[in-house]
Amino acid sequence: MKYLGFGLVFASLLSVSGMELGSAYAANSGEGSTVMKEMLLAYYYPQKDAQSDVFMRIVNRQGQSRERRLAMLRLDKTDGGEQFYYIYFHEPADVQGMSFLVLKHPGRDDDRWLYIPSIDLVKRIATSDKRTSFAGSDFTYEDVSGRDLDEDEHELLGEEALGEYSTFLVKSTPKRSGDVEFSYRKLWIDKTTHLPVKVEHYDLKGTLYKVYETRQVQSIEGTPTITKAAMKDIGSGHETEITIKAITYDVGLTPDLFQERLLRRAPSQWIRR
Amino acid sequence: MGLVRRLILIAFILAAGSTSKILFAEPASLDSWKIGNIPQDEKISTDPWAKIFDSVHGFIEAAYGPKFSGDKLTQKNDYNLLEQRLQLKVAYRPQKPAWLASWNPEFFYKGDLLTDEYKETVRYQIREAYGLVSPLSWMDVKLGRQILTWGTGDYLFINDVFPKDYESFFIGRDDEYLKAPSDAGKFSVFSRLVSMDVVVIPSFTPDVSISRGDRLSFYDIFLGRIAGKESSLIFTEPAFQPKNTEIATRLYRNFGEYETDLYAFKGFFNQPRGIKNESTQDVFYPKRAVFGASIRGPAPSVGGIASGEVGYSDSLQDRSGKNRLIENSAMEYLLGYERDFQKDWRMGMQYLVEQMLNFDEFKANSQPGDIPRDEFRQLLTFRITKLFWRQTLEASLFTFYSPTDSDAYLRPRFTWQASDHWKLTAGGNIFFGKYDWTEFGQLKDNDNLYLRVRYTF
Repeated sequence: MKYLGFGLVFASLLSVSGMELGSAYAANSGEGSTVMKEMLLAYYYPQKDAQSDVFMRIVNRQGQSRERRLAMLRLDKTDGGEQFYYIYFHEPADVQGMSFLVLKHPGRDDDRWLYIPSIDLVKRIATSDKRTSFAGSDFTYEDVSGRDLDEDEHELLGEEALGEYSTFLVKSTPKRSGDVEFSYRKLWIDKTTHLPVKVEHYDLKGTLYKVYETRQVQSIEGTPTITKAAMKDIGSGHETEITIKAITYDVGLTPDLFQERLLRRAPSQWIRR
Repeated sequence: MGLVRRLILIAFILAAGSTSKILFAEPASLDSWKIGNIPQDEKISTDPWAKIFDSVHGFIEAAYGPKFSGDKLTQKNDYNLLEQRLQLKVAYRPQKPAWLASWNPEFFYKGDLLTDEYKETVRYQIREAYGLVSPLSWMDVKLGRQILTWGTGDYLFINDVFPKDYESFFIGRDDEYLKAPSDAGKFSVFSRLVSMDVVVIPSFTPDVSISRGDRLSFYDIFLGRIAGKESSLIFTEPAFQPKNTEIATRLYRNFGEYETDLYAFKGFFNQPRGIKNESTQDVFYPKRAVFGASIRGPAPSVGGIASGEVGYSDSLQDRSGKNRLIENSAMEYLLGYERDFQKDWRMGMQYLVEQMLNFDEFKANSQPGDIPRDEFRQLLTFRITKLFWRQTLEASLFTFYSPTDSDAYLRPRFTWQASDHWKLTAGGNIFFGKYDWTEFGQLKDNDNLYLRVRYTF
């Protein structure tokens, strides 16, 4: 059931970002929250749907690397609200052909399924803990999928120039401090695209221990898109880089596509193998 | 001869491994790389052969499973698993002719070459070989050898009536081998209201039974004791005839976040649950039908996934229960619950009840020497899993425990994903039982530890 361990991780990939953005936002107004909400929409809800090929490289201090390659389909039912996700794994070979379906519902738990082709098994999975590593990488579920807006207090610290970017600097402090391993995060958010440029994580002692950085932003069909990003664990030197190899927006996905059939039979018109 | 054979296989495996490595060195010439106007640094290959071979995947694996309480009953006393395996799989999606391409065809083939040191044979087994098409937008047809699975159980099956390989399960092969392939046609129709699968199996495939006695010792009802290779059961399978075609159907739909299924099956017991002739020790696979239902979804308030499944097993050749040589009809009930916790912990539990119907008839007709049974057999399972080392090491323990049979079966396992290609698995199969004739108790002299090394490509 190694497959399941691996799958569970992917299962939670996009579990949080859509949760109650609207209502959460209402309860947490202010400049910091406005900036954060715009970031979540720009990062997780661009256009109506998307088809992408994702590549991930996990490198340890010794330089040994592990690689994951997957194809992803996303469809938004409403902007900032319900979403459908389908993920198909190309690599590593061990999980090649495995697929994964997520129906994200604001206000209640997501529905998630994993398909293991070698035993023709459609497995329903539950994921409660979102702070564990995503596929053995340096990203946690929440790092990858976006943390629920209402989990933190967001304070706009000011504006800062960061390299070529002109950014808003936001400090996000968890409302329930016992739930997470960081005491606060600092986010640099691009004023123009609303995309995150850099995120620093500070541990419970206030020491910087993990840094996210955007390494490449491209305009895809007019939509600013992060096509390369990395997360580095400062203590261990461990690093993970995620690359969007290809992405197309508004390809015409429909909700009825996201059914059990999709798991048992990868859609060849969307997933090139 | 054994050595020569092994060398040939190793050479073959190395050749296959290195060939595929070369072919994989250049990433696929997938059209997807062109999407989105993102410049790619990968070379685009136009060689059609590279395309075909690029879709070849598989693994090589060596496995060894020494027994630690040999009972000297089976073929080999010191171990029950020693083998090398090469698996290759390939998918092909033709784009021509146009009429076929419009059906979105897929052909898939997966085969295993196994050097089995235990049985001193080299075997080739086709695991899957099927064609899959969509003649209509709302219909899929899958024809050929395939693995079939449905139902909600974790290692427990009520409405999943498809063949299993319990021998593989009990000696420590990969979970993949618990499911044995069927030669079948699967017809699926999809609609918003309800979807349906109809599986037609013209040639009956039994479970890979443990009661062959060559690899695992088991309780032989004719000898009245645990036996191994001296057991001489004769297995009679249903003849390959149109009237013996098995049919399994499933109707399913979701209600909100809950998945619901209805199942119906007409065919045969997958295990030899009937005795044709006691004096010749001739056993057979009686006819049966199964009707059932299941539901699965989030457990309210506590989180996690809960499931429930029921099945009515209709023993068509002994509906009254009066024939002591054929398994009675039964009701089966299964409840399951699974959830995860912080720090990559995951737990699952199941409760299964098998209710023998016409139990009075069973008792009235039993004879001395027959296996005693309970009207309600209960079975509990617990699964606990924890991931370590950035999720590259998985430790898990799966436990079966039956309070009514007073037996248990433990499956501890460590799986280390050493790299993207190398995987090491170490585990054990440990059986306990008060009686010699219960499901797990009969296997108590087959305890083993096993180690598997696998290279996936």
